[in-house]
Parts: sequence; structure tokens; C-alpha cells
Amino acid sequence: MITKDKIDEYIEKIPPAPKALRETLSLLNDGELIKASKIAQSDLALAKYLKNLVNKPIYGFSNEITDISQIFGILGVSSSQQTIYNYMTTLLSPSKWVLFGLNTKSFHELQARLSKKWEMILKHLNIEDKNITSSITLLPASIIVAEALFCEKIEDVELLRSTKQLDYNTILTRLCGLGIFDICEQIATKWEMPKEIGEIIQASSGLKPSPNEIINTLAKWMHLLLFYELSQPIFIEAGLNDFVDFQIDFVDDIYDDFARFMEIE
Amino acid sequence: MRAVVKNGIGLFTPQGFLDANSSSSFLSIDDIEATAALDVDMILVSLKRVVFFNKNGLDIFIKLFSKVRQKNQATVGFCDYDERKYKAIHTFYQDKLNFSLYKTIDVAYLFSSSFQNQNKNVLVYSEDRSQRSAMAIELHDNGHNPIIAQTKEEFKEKSSNKAAYDAIADLTYLGQMGQKIATRVTGNAIIYSISSYLDAEISNKFNIQYHNNSLNVGFRLFVFDAYKVISMNVHALNFFSKLASSGAEYNASICFVGMNFDKTTETFKDTLEDAGILFYDNIDDILKNKQLLQELGASSAANTKSKRVINKQTVTELPRFIDATVATIEMMTNSKAIKQSAEVQAIGIKDKTDKIASSIGYYGDLDGMLILVFPKGIAKKACELLIGENTDDVELILDTLAELVNIVGGKIKTLLSDQNISVDITLPRTYSNVDSLLEVIQDRKGVQVELSFNDDKFIFFLTR
Repeated sequence: MITKDKIDEYIEKIPPAPKALRETLSLLNDGELIKASKIAQSDLALAKYLKNLVNKPIYGFSNEITDISQIFGILGVSSSQQTIYNYMTTLLSPSKWVLFGLNTKSFHELQARLSKKWEMILKHLNIEDKNITSSITLLPASIIVAEALFCEKIEDVELLRSTKQLDYNTILTRLCGLGIFDICEQIATKWEMPKEIGEIIQASSGLKPSPNEIINTLAKWMHLLLFYELSQPIFIEAGLNDFVDFQIDFVDDIYDDFARFMEIE
Repeated sequence: MRAVVKNGIGLFTPQGFLDANSSSSFLSIDDIEATAALDVDMILVSLKRVVFFNKNGLDIFIKLFSKVRQKNQATVGFCDYDERKYKAIHTFYQDKLNFSLYKTIDVAYLFSSSFQNQNKNVLVYSEDRSQRSAMAIELHDNGHNPIIAQTKEEFKEKSSNKAAYDAIADLTYLGQMGQKIATRVTGNAIIYSISSYLDAEISNKFNIQYHNNSLNVGFRLFVFDAYKVISMNVHALNFFSKLASSGAEYNASICFVGMNFDKTTETFKDTLEDAGILFYDNIDDILKNKQLLQELGASSAANTKSKRVINKQTVTELPRFIDATVATIEMMTNSKAIKQSAEVQAIGIKDKTDKIASSIGYYGDLDGMLILVFPKGIAKKACELLIGENTDDVELILDTLAELVNIVGGKIKTLLSDQNISVDITLPRTYSNVDSLLEVIQDRKGVQVELSFNDDKFIFFLTR
């Protein structure tokens, strides 16, 4: 159905991060928000994405923000970096979704929800680290990977899944010895993302806990946040709720804190 | 959301958070009706991967449950939960629990009339005495051996010896049970448990499709366990008379055991006997009498009526049957499946040792039976994707082989429908050794194809 060769071919085809993005990230890393915004402004697709994203209701700005330097200024270094990485992830997304009932708008909505809530969670956990802030951006890449690898095998997958409750990650791991989160980690490496981003994403699968206790705790919050969002009607209806298995035992020790934080009755 | 159907249970597995907003997106009436249309005994929602639920969320499922119950009488409810969730559901609904709760899906299987693995020793406990009895009765009707713990202390003591039981059914609640007639297979006899008043409803409750499929795949002895029947009316009498007549074409025997005619006119018995139905006092009078079993046809599951030759239409469509098998094996193993040879013959298995098999029947515009015979180790390899672990558990391997052949059946159905040929498939059947397979197909001729993947050979056999 899907072979290791096909996965290698997929990873091979992922382009390196565009020059403009690398420069923007580098300047953000140096705290040069103005210079970074000028570079970002020159990439029209990036500029449009940034405007659309930050003007979503979840960002809570009362007036429309159109100027990139203003966007970076309001977001600050961490959130600006996170937004650039979010944009990089969208470069992988298909022009037309086939396996999942998503479109550009709903995918951006998922990115925005995850990113904003992740920031709030980090604040709650008293963590201030721009790389950790950005780690959430790679999580939706897992959905893109599943879409890309399985979109031509929908009938087979449906037949298989009508017989046994198997998620895409399990199918891929059993067939090729490589799971969706392994591929995401490889994407992080290819894009020269900070190492901890790949580590947190890998651990957030709930299947390969990290020996680093801090990364593991972050991974638990990320795993639970993902399923909190995938329990929203828009994403259930898109067929995302069971694309990977929810590891309920993995998040057991942080659930009460999460529920209080999210004000779940 | 789609249900996974196994052992007569349609199971939905939502993940994450269930509230009023999400529940209606998880499950729609269309999802439920599509599952009910597969003639399932139960429709359950697993709470295994649900970290949070509230009453509003469950209410939406329960409303859907009540609609499906009104329509097709399936048992409905939840499964796969811990004690905390079980207590929460009881607190939400208190004495208005009209759905069922099963601690795990494996416990639910024991209560499904389509579950083929009978004779399980099941430890039963509920704080509610009437629930304890109801569970024991249902389990017994389904061919299991319930052992009731009467007190919590007794349950604790007994359940500490887990090895003594095949399953432990606690934290389980039987709401309104399905109205379908429990069915179990003992050797080559099929036993239906019927109870109470038998009237016109019997034709709705009785799964005639299952019965016909059983005739088609070779069963010849059908026993109605009628100990709990109070009386029957003329509609039920007509139903059983017709059933006996149609079974006669297959040379099938239909027996009633334990039927009491105190409240049913004796002339009904004469009518049924005239239709060919036999009456016995005890089930053991049949099952423990080898000579009688032989006379009644249960010593062999051969299907005499349908011992038919492979016809032209089947041969024309043969490539599609092979394609479906090859495509499934390739999908499951990620390796190329190759056709080695094909011949029309009675099934030929040179070395019978360590081989297992699975079959699936199809009927409609075309009819017949597809059989796959694997060396045990090769079956394990072919099922690796579904099993996901290294195991020597034969029951698990057979169970998974049935899933594999079910996928093949699904593919056959799709490929044939592309040619405007409409077929339905039966439930898969497995054979733990070649002899039990040969008992069913005997010397019937068919097309035998040797197939291989990764140099591992297995047999494809298509017969009618």
C-alpha cells in the first residue's frame, strides 16, 4: 500500500525552507523585528498569510492589522517566529484536500487555534522559550503527511478501517517501520528547525516518550491540546478526530490541570 | 464516523471530548442507520479514548440509540470504560438507564448472539441481584458458562484468580436487550435459543439471512432450544413449518428441545412433526448421541444441495476474485503477490499439517464460496498489519484471518459491482485445521490457484 521508498520519495520532494523565510527567521532570532518585517513584506504570499492569521478572532485584535512591521511588533519575537513556522508548514499543504475534509481556511483555523492556545498553555506553565513556542507549528504537519501518503489509497484504507480500528500512524508504522511523527521530525531536520521542536513533536505522539522530563510534560500538554481541538465539530466533520490514536493514559497526570486551565466543567 | 463491525457489534470509537457540540458531529443518524443496515446485534460507543464526557454529550447518542432500537431492535449502549466513567453514567441516568453498559468490548462480544466463540467461563458480578441473574441467563443462552459471585467479597476472592476464567463481567449493566434470537454453533449444529410467547414477531426476530447462509455453507442440523417457550400461536407455527420445508431442500434437520405443550395445543406438535421437525426432551439427547448426530446430519457439515459445479459466469469473473485476493495480500504485506498455477479440481492440499483456513460465502447475482488456506506461519505474516504484534495465539490468528478474508470479500463485492454484478457476502468462517475445512467442502470441485508473496505460498480455492 505505502512503502518505505514512497516515504523517502515524499521527504526528498520537500523543498528546503525558502531563502526569504530563513532570513526572516535569522533576523527574528537576533531580535531585529523591523528588518525581519521588511524581508517578510517582500514575500507576498507570506505577507498575505500573516495578515489573514493574526486577524482571526482567536488573536483578539479589535482593529484589522495590515502592516507586517506592526504585526511583528504586536506579536513579539516568539510569536512572530511561531507564525513564520506556521507559514512554512502551510507550504506543504495540498491545494486540494482529498482524504480529510479540510480546505485552506479550515487548516489555517486549526493552526491559529493550536498556536494561540499553546502560547496560553506555556504562559500557564511559566515557560518562555521561542523554540518551544514554535514547536506547535509542526503538529499540523502530521495531518499534511497523512493526507499526502494516504490520499491515493482512500478505498483501501476505508476497507481496512471498516474491519479494524487502525489509525493512519499505526498503519504506516506497521507497513514501513516509520510513523507520521517520525516523518514530521525528519521535516524539522530538513528545515533546520531547532532540535527541541522535533523532539517535542515526536514525544507528542504519546507513543515515544522523551527521557527529558520537561519535553515529556510539554508533549503531554500538546497531545491533549491536539485532541481538544480535534474534538471540535469542524475538525470531527473533516475526519480528523481519529487520524491518530489518542493516548489517554499518556495524558492522565496532567488532565485535571488541563481541564481547570481550559475551564472544562 | 464509521463503525467497525465485528462479531455482530457495530462499534464507534470517538476520541477526546464529548459534549453537546461534539457528539452530534461524531455520530449522525445516517452513521447509525448504515451500521444497523449491516444487521448487527448491537451498536455500541466505546469510551476507551474519551477523556471527558458530560450528560448533554451522552444524551445525543442516547436519542440516536432510541431511534435505532425502535427500528431494528438492536442492543445499544456504551463500552470500554473504567469504574469512574461507569459510576458517572449511573449518576447521570440513575433509574432511567434503558441502554446497556459493557466494561469492555470483549465482554460485549460474550453477549452478542453472533459471537462464534462459545463455552467461555465467565465470572459475573453486579451489586444488583436482578442484573446478576439477567447477565447469567443471557450468557447461558449464548452458550457460555456463567459463574455468579453473589457478594462483593466473593467477587474479589474469585476475580483474584484470573486464570480460572476466560472473562470477568463486572461493571456491566444490561439495559433493554436486543430482541434477536441468540445463536450458537456447537460442532456442526446450530442452536437457536427461543423463549416466551412465539407469535408473528418470530419472523422479525429470527435472522433468516444467517440461517440461509448457514445452509449455504453446509450446516444441516438446527436445534431450537425451547425450554423457555411458554406458548406459540398459529403464526409461529406457520413460520416453523415453512422453515422446515425450505430446509428439506438441503436435507437439513430441524429439532425442538424442551418444548412444553401445556399452553400450546398438541395439534401444533403434530403439524410441526408432519413438516419434518423432530422433538426431544433435552439438548444432550442430541448432542451426546453420536449415532443420532450422524443420522441428523451433524457429523458432517457438507452441503448436499449446493454441491454444484463451477459455472461459466464464475469462471468469467474468476480474475476479479483473484485480483481481490492479490490486492488485499499486497495491501496487507506491502509485497507483490504472484499467481503460480490454476486448475479446476477438488481441493488438493498435499501437506495438511499446521495449516489453517478461512472461507467467505457470497450470494446474489453470483453465488459460491472463496477459501484461503495458509500455513500457520504464513497466515501470521499475511495478517501482520492487523495483528501488530508477534503472537502464537491461534485464536487471535484465526480471528485475524477472518478479518483478512472479510476484506477480500469487501473487495470482491466492489470489483463485481463495477461489472454491474451485485453480491452480498456472508460472515467469514475459520478452520483451525484442514480436516474441518474438508468436512465442509468435501469433494466439491472448484478453481484452485496457488498464490505466493515473498516466496510464501498459500491456496486460493473458489467453489460453489
